[in-house]
Amino acid sequence: MKKRILAALVSLSLAALSMTGCGSSNGGGASTDQGELNIFVWTEYLPDSVVEKFEKETGIKVNVSTYSSNEDMLAKVKSETAGAYDLLVPSDYMVAQLIAQDMLKELDFEQLPNFSHIGESYKNPSYDPGNVYSIPYMGGAGAIVVNTDKVDMDITSYADLFDPSLEGQLVVLDDFRAVIGMTSKALGYDLNETDPDKLTEVSDKLMELKKNVVLYDSDSPKSALISGDCAAGMIWSAEVAMAMEEVPSIEVIYPTEGAYLFFDNWVVTKESPNYDNALKWMNFIMEPENMELVLAEFPYLCANTDAVANMGEEYSGNPAKNPPSDAIAKGSYVENLDSATLDIYNEMWTKLKE
Amino acid sequence: MKKISKHEFKSNTMPAIVTVGPVALLLLLLVLAPLIFVTVMSFCQTDEFYNVVYRFTSVNYSKLFSPDYIKIYGQSLLIAFITTLICVLIGYPFSYVIARTKSKKRQLFYMLVIIPFWTNSLIRIYGWRTFLGSSGWLNKLLMSMGVAVEPIELLYKTGTTVLGMVYCFIPFMVLPLYTAIEKLDASLLEASSDLGARPVKTLFEVILPLTSSGIFSGCIMVFIPCLGYFFVSNILGGGNTDMIGNLIERQFKSANNWPLGAALSIILIVVTLILVKIYQKLGGDMDSLGV
Repeated sequence: MKKRILAALVSLSLAALSMTGCGSSNGGGASTDQGELNIFVWTEYLPDSVVEKFEKETGIKVNVSTYSSNEDMLAKVKSETAGAYDLLVPSDYMVAQLIAQDMLKELDFEQLPNFSHIGESYKNPSYDPGNVYSIPYMGGAGAIVVNTDKVDMDITSYADLFDPSLEGQLVVLDDFRAVIGMTSKALGYDLNETDPDKLTEVSDKLMELKKNVVLYDSDSPKSALISGDCAAGMIWSAEVAMAMEEVPSIEVIYPTEGAYLFFDNWVVTKESPNYDNALKWMNFIMEPENMELVLAEFPYLCANTDAVANMGEEYSGNPAKNPPSDAIAKGSYVENLDSATLDIYNEMWTKLKE
Repeated sequence: MKKISKHEFKSNTMPAIVTVGPVALLLLLLVLAPLIFVTVMSFCQTDEFYNVVYRFTSVNYSKLFSPDYIKIYGQSLLIAFITTLICVLIGYPFSYVIARTKSKKRQLFYMLVIIPFWTNSLIRIYGWRTFLGSSGWLNKLLMSMGVAVEPIELLYKTGTTVLGMVYCFIPFMVLPLYTAIEKLDASLLEASSDLGARPVKTLFEVILPLTSSGIFSGCIMVFIPCLGYFFVSNILGGGNTDMIGNLIERQFKSANNWPLGAALSIILIVVTLILVKIYQKLGGDMDSLGV
């Protein structure tokens, strides 16, 4: 009797498992004749519907894995066998680092006619002159988010987030370059500060932030704002936009010091076994129609100016979705640091999170 | 008398290789080799891109004694200790009740502990986050009952981490306790009360000593994995009270310093070995740990 109950329960649970298991693989529909494509992308950055559309159009089977920081991505790519991923979506400074480590393959622009939809100002970035290895996708800022129902204070700068009145109320990105960069900015220093004396000050300043931050989250920082667990913070600009749609009292603010900016790019790994499929994907994602589908779900700043033109006022008029040009002009990007400075950054991060 | 013929091997080597060989090979490949790899890596350096370079250094080990890290070890030990204590306090009465019930409910109670275990713990921990949040069910209930006026902040505290840990590890405590208590001979309890012992005295002088092996192995099975868990403190603790598991995770991910991560892992392994050794010294049975 005992055994029969057990057997029944085991088979029930297995059945339940096998049902839930189908979701991610979305197998069956597309034929596998056209080969595969392995995409490694940020969480909440690529809608499933767009991936399915590509599979339907091309017959290529796509596997999507996700990461939540550039460093996590790099560590994972290095620990996997060569060619485990075809496409990555690194941010600006990480593109430069991947190029420096000879981990990327040059792009064949013959196969990328849709590159013409990319705005001129987004082409030829400093981290990849001439777009030899990368095409720009989406970007944004580490913007300040405030729920005005819960915070009385008038917040205009990163420095305001260190105010003692915000104790235990903030959510910030779980990203050491973003948080340390923001703190340097709050002190009037560079986002990529390297001066050891100034960094000591930054380290002390971080201890003030420690009291205010209750949650470090890069995956879906909007959730804590929507649920009401956090009242303010520094999160991806498009996450603010998504939170604003749920809770009207949530606002986006671009700091007076100049915001931390990022821009993410599609690149092909050096050992990619599916180079042609990867380029097909790149061309597909630069098609304005497809990019619009992405923007409808994840409204980030977009390099595809033709897609942006079709999005209408609802997108381009919203400062959280389409950051104003003066905020972009004032902001700065993360740059690669020497390893001695990175060690200091890592120590500061440990102190903050211990 | 007729002699019974028995097959005998000419040498003992072949049978030994055939029977023990596969398991030994598996252990060599899956336990010993990675362990050696981790040890070697913990003495390696990194280049400017944080790639591992196989050149000897002991700098990773000297870093282990920085005050920040020591604070994190202390914190981890404390959290693991409190978790274990709470698990015993909740798990013991529970196991006692289910092990001593004669009715069919025993099976049901037992299953109540086991079934949640079949769902991935990560998902269950996210469930707790939703449940405990400001707009979660618990706060809604408390407010509708008039207990609270405003949502109580329950998430992202060290206490929440402990709650999640207790929730994750309680089956590891209940199962060995259940086994130990089930073996307890009821006649001993009768004898104790016949000889005039009050229930409290019976508990401390008969029941607890006789089930101590279960308590021991339960504690070891909760305490050790607790030290290495990192996602509970990330999700329920908000990521602001690091444990040694978080520290190790970070070296292999965002900090990209694998040799330091390897050295930290070695520390964790050494602590584990010391604990198991103490357990053995105190008379613990290795079999009841499932090893």
